[in-house]
Amino acid sequence: MTVGLLALLLWLYPEGAYLHFVEGHADQYLQFQKVKDCDVIYFSASSNFPSEFVEEQDPRKLSQFIADDFPNLRFEAFNKPASHAGVFAHLLEMFRKDGDAKTFIVTMNLRSFGSDWVYSELETPLNQAAVCYNHRPNLINRALVSLRAYDDLSTEERVALRTQAWDSDPLPFPSPMNTVTSWCAVEKWGDWRNPKRQLADQFIKQYGFVLNEQNPRVQDFDKIAKMAQEEGWTMVFNLLAENTQKADSLVGSELVGLMNDNADWLDERYENMGIPVINSLNAVDSKHFTDKDFPTEHYDDVGRKIIAKRVAVALKKELAK
Amino acid sequence: MLLLAASYFFYGFWKIEYLSLIIISTTVDYFAARYIHEQSSQLKKRIGLGVSLLTNLGLLAFFKYSGWFMEDVLFETSVIDSETLNSFNSFWDFALPVGISFYTFQTLGYTIDIYHGRVEPERNPLKFALFVSYFPQLVAGPIERFSHLHKQLFQDVKFDYRNLQKGGRTILYGLFIKMCVADNVSPIVDQIFANVEGARSLQLIIGMLLFGLQIYSDFHGYSLIAIGSARILGVELMDNFRAPYLSTSIREFWSRWHISLSTWFRDYLYIPMGGSKVGRTKLMINILVVFLVSGLWHGANWTFVIWGAMHGLAYLLERWFISRDTARWLDLFKWGSTMLIVFVAWIFFRSPSLTHASLYITEMIGGEGTGIDLDWEPYVASIAGIFILSDIRLRNTSFDQWIDERSVYARWTVYGLLLFFILGFAGTVRHPFIYFQF
Repeated sequence: MTVGLLALLLWLYPEGAYLHFVEGHADQYLQFQKVKDCDVIYFSASSNFPSEFVEEQDPRKLSQFIADDFPNLRFEAFNKPASHAGVFAHLLEMFRKDGDAKTFIVTMNLRSFGSDWVYSELETPLNQAAVCYNHRPNLINRALVSLRAYDDLSTEERVALRTQAWDSDPLPFPSPMNTVTSWCAVEKWGDWRNPKRQLADQFIKQYGFVLNEQNPRVQDFDKIAKMAQEEGWTMVFNLLAENTQKADSLVGSELVGLMNDNADWLDERYENMGIPVINSLNAVDSKHFTDKDFPTEHYDDVGRKIIAKRVAVALKKELAK
Repeated sequence: MLLLAASYFFYGFWKIEYLSLIIISTTVDYFAARYIHEQSSQLKKRIGLGVSLLTNLGLLAFFKYSGWFMEDVLFETSVIDSETLNSFNSFWDFALPVGISFYTFQTLGYTIDIYHGRVEPERNPLKFALFVSYFPQLVAGPIERFSHLHKQLFQDVKFDYRNLQKGGRTILYGLFIKMCVADNVSPIVDQIFANVEGARSLQLIIGMLLFGLQIYSDFHGYSLIAIGSARILGVELMDNFRAPYLSTSIREFWSRWHISLSTWFRDYLYIPMGGSKVGRTKLMINILVVFLVSGLWHGANWTFVIWGAMHGLAYLLERWFISRDTARWLDLFKWGSTMLIVFVAWIFFRSPSLTHASLYITEMIGGEGTGIDLDWEPYVASIAGIFILSDIRLRNTSFDQWIDERSVYARWTVYGLLLFFILGFAGTVRHPFIYFQF
């Protein structure tokens, strides 16, 4: 009776309590179950979505614009806001073990390599959800979430790490503007109440870093590239456009130069690993960025179509190989 | 020796510099106890006891109450200005040492026992150090007595399957209570207490009831884990809880809630002040003092003082106006009124300030909040229900004793179910044990 009762509970658990749990905490697990046999999978964060505040002629997702070029392939997108390569790597592991998809477009968001995103408080729920993107018995995944077997730093701890990085990571700018903190301390557009000054500070905070192999996001992409090589997948990295014109006008050419250097570094690194990087960093004009008070990769439909076209061209080339 | 090293490692792992506080407390009390024991003069004994009291209460006062005293007492009464307060705060910027209220009381109890000649002093300093720092109960009790613990701690322990079985299942039940009940309820409580003005009256009542459930399951769960861990090592710690929410009086509540602390206050504060063998006015004052100190023991905030005062006043009213031998049919009324006091007092315990607590009560009685969307997992009510029913069942026994009387099949069914609930339904939000902050 004991064994029977427990067996019954274990049998009911995945379809009842666990399903409810992942709906609330790890919804991409459910999405994976639905799309695992699609032909092409697009991974991104919020850049895939149209803006709620801009009226558009074609308010479809960026991934749908890409799909227009591949009418015979079944396209699906994973597009959770604030998501990044660390989460994509977990999802790709699921495809490796239990999916049929063989072609992947992975968004490479330059901002996601910066300390503001790496140490964002949104990391906790994302990391928590990622525990469920593993092929283990459901009960074990659920228990690991409870035991917080993931990067579960508090907001204060993340803020401290971020501040430390901004204080100490060197920028290739002349002194005294050679760290993010010291750059922000210099009066450029008047005091901190000036919106231009606030936005300029945000640009330097988002893009003021020099990439290297120790960057956690680079390590995530390395993992993804390795996985693609091992599985023989067709994969492209979609390096999104950033508002470099705005960066130039608010901060100066030195920041745009740094952003391009980082993009080139990524391009070269992953081309060498056999994954083409579609470098669209400067491809979208400033007027197509929908957020005006914070640097993001949210574009209007024209901007999304520009990116989509570039991805489609590169993907066709890859699929033709 | 190994246990002492393990205990120091356990504590030092959190903040190694605070190990020095345990070592200071241990060293002073080791020598103070021996000094008290060796003296024949009452005055010298008192001096020895005074040194121990000053050291332990001094540490407690300094680390736990100095900030509060400066800000809420001296600054609020304009004795010091904001500049002095700020320079104090920036100079004394430290975290409260975990468990300081527990181990200082445990070692204080020892020197008081020596003073009254109830126990002989421990000659071996390492053994005494282990008594002060024994890791299962170091950070949040139960606050043990030397007479109960020392023989068990210093005996030769051989592996005993029965200890492993009893300790293991006690830990399992404690984990269920902490992880499935307390940790699932805590996010709802946090949400309600953070949105007092937006919540509806009913939601605030639920928040109050759930905090009562949270603090009980959190602390009871911790205590069981501590008791179970010690039991595996062959040591029986005292029970800390016996279904307190089934009490029909405040007096009974305190014989069932945080037993190791309430008996400590009875033995080392209430009785030395004269116990019940004093006049009515003195008795009233003594009882109030015990409850106020008990409130203050929990934390440096007026909210804890009010919490203690509410219990103290209710206790006094009960003592003089309600007979203990009432008809059984009145028990339901007595239980209801006791719980009303206990749960309303919890609002003060949980609130960050008196203003917040008053607002909570005002809004709860006649608030006009439009309501908040509570993140309520549907299974939480079922798990809480299971815990409440099991608590009723275990009213006059313990989980270990109850399950010991079941058949092997029933036992393993319960173990399996507890494990299933822990793995499948434990809370997911980071929420440390509440009593670690005291």
